[in-house]
Amino acid sequence: MENIYDDVKEFLDQGETVAVATIVSTKGSTPREVGAKMVVTAWGEILGTIGGGCGEADVRREAIEVVRTRKPRTVRVDLLDDISSDSPAVCGGIMNVFIDPWWKDEESD
Amino acid sequence: MDALVQELIKIKSEGAGAVLITVVESQGLDGLDSGDKCLVRDGRIVLGEVNDGDLEQTLLREASERLSDEHSRLVSVETASGGQADVFFEVMPSPPKLIVVGAGHIAVPLVKIAKLMDYHVVVIDDRILFANRERFPDADEVIVGDMAETVKALDITPTTYVVLITRGHKYDEPCLRELLDRPAKYIGMIGSKRRIKACFERFKEEEYVSEELISRVYAPIGLDIATETPEEIALGILGEIIKVRRGGKAQSLSRKR
Repeated sequence: MENIYDDVKEFLDQGETVAVATIVSTKGSTPREVGAKMVVTAWGEILGTIGGGCGEADVRREAIEVVRTRKPRTVRVDLLDDISSDSPAVCGGIMNVFIDPWWKDEESD
Repeated sequence: MDALVQELIKIKSEGAGAVLITVVESQGLDGLDSGDKCLVRDGRIVLGEVNDGDLEQTLLREASERLSDEHSRLVSVETASGGQADVFFEVMPSPPKLIVVGAGHIAVPLVKIAKLMDYHVVVIDDRILFANRERFPDADEVIVGDMAETVKALDITPTTYVVLITRGHKYDEPCLRELLDRPAKYIGMIGSKRRIKACFERFKEEEYVSEELISRVYAPIGLDIATETPEEIALGILGEIIKVRRGGKAQSLSRKR
């Protein structure tokens, strides 16, 4: 079984801040289920997936901001207005993605 | 945050069940901000702090429900003081455990298929000719001993599934007695309708076992897919276990009969 926290630990050990994006709720048909996660680094590198496509690209963009500001935010990804797109990730649903910054606090070491 | 990551990795490697609680959005909830976390394991908070005793109870109760249905979920939480927060319960379930009582001809394919699906598998029989490593190379534990006594001593949790497929009712029944009031997610017992009915009647009349407890038992065991061979019966049993675990209806998705 995958464990995304192994990846998170590796980044934190190198002194980096990463964003963890989690699907917290969905409506309609979505490419992945509640609880699916991906890690985004300061440079926009991605580990894991929340379904790919335009939705994931939007989340990646927001996640880079979350790493920079270290402030969590929730992004609503709407896969409804995407019908004309040729992306394979068009499902017709809506998902809320919570993006949370993780970093190593100096005082806790 | 470092301590939390380490604990999460440890939980995974130990195969323990846990729930990570994260505040997604907080409206007027004192001292709780978006991104605040606590970790629940073994029914208590092991990392992070909740200052409100009532709120802590609410979170623990919800965490325990989430752990038992194995679905992560966003929950709206309210406090007596009028605060409200959207809280995400991320479930890290322990791997499901399958206890196979009776190491006969159905047990062999049953254990193989269950291992393919990453179950922790325990096989029990009182005959070493059947319960041995040659027959069950993939099993996590193979136990030789009195079956009812062994079942009695095993740790059974809400992620435990028990299959009673011994060589006769004489052996299935005492095992079932040990299991009825334990928190297993699934108890299945092999046998014909007639023999099962007789067994349940005995339980009710002789021992005052409640209807409610008896109704937990899946017997005759397995899904109705007209199984014939031991391999097919094993698949039918695991199909039923998946249905119970995930909450399915077990029809063809096309609705075709």
